[in-house]
Amino acid sequence: MTDVRVSPTLDAEGRRLDGSGRGAALGHWWGLNRWWITRIAVLPVHILVFAVIAFFLVRAVPGDPVLTILGGSVQYTQEDYDRVQQALGLNGTIGEQLGRYLWQTVQLDLGTSLYTGRSVAGELAQRIPETLELALIALVATVAVALAAAAVVVLRPRSWFARLLRLYSRMAGAVPQFILAVAFIFVFYATLHWVPAPIGRTDPKTPPIETVTGFPLLDALLTGNLEAFGSTVAHLVLPVVVMVLATTDLLLKILIASLEKAIDAPPTLFRAATGASRGTLLLSAYRRALPPMVTMSGVVFGHLLGGAVILEALFGLGAMGGYALEAVNTKDMVALQGFLLVSAVISLILFLVVDLVNMALDPRRRPGVHVGDA
Amino acid sequence: MAATTAAPAIRVRSVQWGRALRLGLPLIPVLLLVIVAVFGPAWVPYDPERIVAPPYRAPGGEHWFGTDSNGMDIFSRTLAATRLNVVVATITALAATLGGMVLGLTIGMGESASGVWGVLFRGIARILDLFEAVPAVVIALVVVAFSGTSIPSLVLVLSIVLMSTQARLVRTEVLAVRNEAFVDAARMTGQSEAGLTIRHVLPHSAMPAMENAPVVFGQAVILTASLGFLGVGLPPPTPEWGAMIAQGAADAAVGRWWPATFPSIALILAVVIVAFLIPRLLRGRRGRSQG
Repeated sequence: MTDVRVSPTLDAEGRRLDGSGRGAALGHWWGLNRWWITRIAVLPVHILVFAVIAFFLVRAVPGDPVLTILGGSVQYTQEDYDRVQQALGLNGTIGEQLGRYLWQTVQLDLGTSLYTGRSVAGELAQRIPETLELALIALVATVAVALAAAAVVVLRPRSWFARLLRLYSRMAGAVPQFILAVAFIFVFYATLHWVPAPIGRTDPKTPPIETVTGFPLLDALLTGNLEAFGSTVAHLVLPVVVMVLATTDLLLKILIASLEKAIDAPPTLFRAATGASRGTLLLSAYRRALPPMVTMSGVVFGHLLGGAVILEALFGLGAMGGYALEAVNTKDMVALQGFLLVSAVISLILFLVVDLVNMALDPRRRPGVHVGDA
Repeated sequence: MAATTAAPAIRVRSVQWGRALRLGLPLIPVLLLVIVAVFGPAWVPYDPERIVAPPYRAPGGEHWFGTDSNGMDIFSRTLAATRLNVVVATITALAATLGGMVLGLTIGMGESASGVWGVLFRGIARILDLFEAVPAVVIALVVVAFSGTSIPSLVLVLSIVLMSTQARLVRTEVLAVRNEAFVDAARMTGQSEAGLTIRHVLPHSAMPAMENAPVVFGQAVILTASLGFLGVGLPPPTPEWGAMIAQGAADAAVGRWWPATFPSIALILAVVIVAFLIPRLLRGRRGRSQG
């Protein structure tokens, strides 16, 4: 048995803060809500820390990026060198560089692309929604499939379907998304012609989607452009199916393990003894089994985001991944640094959501709450 | 009477045979992979970096796996790529595990220190958590672009990207081990902090990272291929599975299945052999020593 002890100032029940007056009420409110406020408050710190890591990471790798950009051209002058060095923010001492970089980052200025001369932040802001849409749809589908599949495995453990799912969950991480994608393009496009050609987001004939939010599917719905909506869905089916198949095994493996443990745990037996329905039992087991999977889905989102970058290239969806690849090919270091930071921010925000969901599911995970064995 | 005494003897022998088979069978693919990686480039029937036939020959006949869009022999290229992909992944797995151990030990032992060092080590521990959040492909892509592509820089980048998992695994173990009585005992005998860390803490905290090393190998194979697939890997004629699959992807879309299929199978086989069979081998060995 565990007992949940809450430190006096943060009493979740508010018993010690029952004095009268606004201060006490505010204190009570703070005690109840501190967990998510503090978690959200550290996000900017995390982002800043990662910005510093990214700063040192690109400077720690061997080789001189200035020379990489100047490339094979032996005919560069000292002026050329200085110009590129300044454009990269590599002039001055390391302290000056860091200070300048952090100051710009805080102002949401990711610099100007060396190649196009346009603002990196602006270019990325335009492309993020398209990539995010793909990754988020895949994440929701992956989680849904994992939840349903785990229920089959736990409720009908001896059926052939459950055995198949178990086998699949053991394959976790062995088949990369791009191999599956190439295979699916061959089978479902080249052979069966079930899906449209893996080029672009919509058919060329469909009317263009007006930009409202930047998320193509959402915009198509908002502007009532159903033809474009249908076409976008048809183009996204294959990449999403590939991502779901390639990553669900990671979640399923963890969920099956923790669900089996939760179903045999005392709380389930207690509920069964009180005569609770089968549905209630399953729901209770799921609530206790979910946190490890929720944590894992943060990692899975990373896989999906990285996968989206790769699959975009394959399916001709060119958003953030396309931008990054172009930057790699043109040796556009400023754009790449921005891409790295923005990807990190997206991932860190998702990790924040993961933590909040876990704290909501299991109050013992909230900060300031101490759990001890009685 | 004779029958009752003979029966257990037979059973014992069959158990031994079964164990030998269980240990030996997974060994065969592992050895095959090593042999192909070592001798593959010497066995190829055609030069893997030269045009040897008209493009798009279907598999069979002189070209077992067919030829690609350039007219290069796919069998030769798949075989020759094994060495590169396996060597890069092996060195990466070793470097990431070694580096992770050093990092994990340092952080784990230093975390409780007071003052600047303690703060620094606790900070690094948090940073490792942050690192886990960001897709490895993204970090590798950016860093490779900065450092340029060559085999040493590829290995370095992959090792850095994959080291954080190993360091976290070691650190978790160190935190559990460092308060054990035998560590205090060693400290009281006057051993230096570094000496007792290596002699007493390392042996008790290295196992999870060692067991995870085959998985790191698999991740390294996939990451190398992902970079090659994106066209950021080693320069074009170099035989590399990811680049071959990328080249074959365009062919797959128009119905030519073979250019992408064979390197894909080779990649999956390499990952499965190392990441799934080697842990089984290790487990089998440990099971025997316990039994």
